Amino acid sequence: MIEVANVVKAFGRRREVHAVNGVAFTASDGEITGLLGPNGAGKTTLLRVISTLMVPDSGTATVDGHDVVRDRYAVRRRIGVLSDARGLYPRLTARENIRYYGALHGLAGEALEARIDELIRALSIGDIADRRAHGFSQGERMKVAIARALVHDPQTILLDEPTNGLDIMSIRSLRDLLRDLRAQGKCLLFSSHVMQEVTALCQRIVILGGGRVVATGTASELLAQTGERTLEDAFVRLLGSGEGLAA
Amino acid sequence: MTGVARSVSAAARIHAVARKEIVDVFRDRRTMLVTLATAIAAGPVLMLLVLNLVARQADKARELTLPVLGGDHAPALIAFLERQQVTLTAAPADFENRIRAGDLDVVLEVDKDFAVDVAKGKAGTVRLAFDRSRDRARGSIAEVEALLRAYSREWGRGRLLLRGVAVEVASPLNVEPRDLATPQSSGALVLFLIAFYGLFAAVIGGMAAALDTTAGERERASLEPLLTTPVAPIELATGKWLAVVVLNATAVVLTLTGFYLVLRFAPLPAVGIPFLFGLTELGRFVVTLVPLVALMPAILLYVGARARSFKEAQTNLSVLLFAVSLLPIMQMFLQKKEPAWLTWIPISGQYALLSRALRGEALPFVELLQSYVVPGLLTVAALVAVARLFSRESVLVGK
Repeated sequence: MIEVANVVKAFGRRREVHAVNGVAFTASDGEITGLLGPNGAGKTTLLRVISTLMVPDSGTATVDGHDVVRDRYAVRRRIGVLSDARGLYPRLTARENIRYYGALHGLAGEALEARIDELIRALSIGDIADRRAHGFSQGERMKVAIARALVHDPQTILLDEPTNGLDIMSIRSLRDLLRDLRAQGKCLLFSSHVMQEVTALCQRIVILGGGRVVATGTASELLAQTGERTLEDAFVRLLGSGEGLAA
Repeated sequence: MTGVARSVSAAARIHAVARKEIVDVFRDRRTMLVTLATAIAAGPVLMLLVLNLVARQADKARELTLPVLGGDHAPALIAFLERQQVTLTAAPADFENRIRAGDLDVVLEVDKDFAVDVAKGKAGTVRLAFDRSRDRARGSIAEVEALLRAYSREWGRGRLLLRGVAVEVASPLNVEPRDLATPQSSGALVLFLIAFYGLFAAVIGGMAAALDTTAGERERASLEPLLTTPVAPIELATGKWLAVVVLNATAVVLTLTGFYLVLRFAPLPAVGIPFLFGLTELGRFVVTLVPLVALMPAILLYVGARARSFKEAQTNLSVLLFAVSLLPIMQMFLQKKEPAWLTWIPISGQYALLSRALRGEALPFVELLQSYVVPGLLTVAALVAVARLFSRESVLVGK
């Protein structure tokens, strides 16, 4: 469970660029929450605040009740993050990449190896498990990065633009995986600028624009709020026509 | 998560980081090539070349070949030179040009009036042609000059004896040279080379690895996901440091072993430097270099972590390395005895101690301890600084 309350984060020499400007929302366990917004809406910054990489200027964010600033290591033990930059080590094999993160999470020995095997099976990356990451395709890289993020079986999973650069087959297997995790009662928060991605997966949608929450709710709630007939029209109305949602 | 054993100690995480970095760096061909090449090629191989050069020069002086012009005019001198194992050849007519061109080192020309002058009781004239600006020729020139002086002395003594005069009348001063250089303190160039390259290995042995693990990590954007795990920045810095220290120590040990082998099997007696770099000296070198093996990786990590890219890091490092390599060179040209406080200064202190080890001196415990203090403190400070760099938000956005 993620609770974000009035988070503000600004950049620049005089803090004049408000990347996130008073955002509040909740992401519950057993649900996939989608952060939808155009490029520059503040999605990545918000995910970085929740994953303890950035300290908010004001406001609070908690993961399962642990504050992301005061209690950052407790938060880090509970989250798995697929960041925008996959950041695999090209000279390590897929298995070694996953093992490294497992060791950093305090796993060791047979328990760790068993968990790695389990993930390799679940993500069907057995054929590349012992190859070095150097020549991996985008889809293979994404899968290994997800396995790495899940190695400690986190309750909360943050994914920044997970479908970027993937072909349709990879996107489908990713969706299946995320649905499985939801069925296990995990809390998933996932950002995208592609409307179809969000509507295909998410129970709750948080629409960000210009660093603020423009609207939240289920797909039908959003339709009702705007009085539009299609979701696409609803998004365009909510964000104003100037900010396109096109990929 | 049930059934999964968890150990949350920081030591385990540091160990995990160090292990991963060591595997990673040993698989990086470029880094390993640079590290091993500098360790093996730069030091021992260069020294082998220098030693061979010195040895060849020494051999040349010993097997002296002397082209002679007009040898018929002084048969006694020719006989003397032949007795001294000098190979005499007939000098070509254009010998002056050949000397200028560097084909001949030195040529002896006996004056055509030599016999006549000697018969009249005058000094006989011989001319020695050479080019003293040519380093290679110096050994031969000195050898021929010494032989001619010896002949002149022997001849003079014979004359004095014939007239019943004691030899001492003509040479009242008896000079007995006594060289106080210990076997190890001669051969200053080779000495400098060993100390310098031993130091050099400790300074740059971890460079490629340190850059790869900091600037490289940033360039590959792998730092961001890493910082969402429970690893603390100081644990990350310490683990990476340990890995680079391992590599640096490997480079130092390889370089020193190279020296040991070269000095053992190189043609040293011919050089005239009964040089000592045995296992004792090897051990003293290692003990002296320990603080640098620890300090330099920490500094290199700091420079690497500060830079936005690999290229920027390399530029900053070249400035640092230039400053570091200047210190021992300045010390070598220092004419006075080294001041005592020098042992406290990193690099300078180590260089001074290495030079002493090479001169065959034992290393005093107190001075060794002094040379550890500042590098030790700097290592800790640099690691804290690296950790602070890792925890800056700007490392994520590439600023």
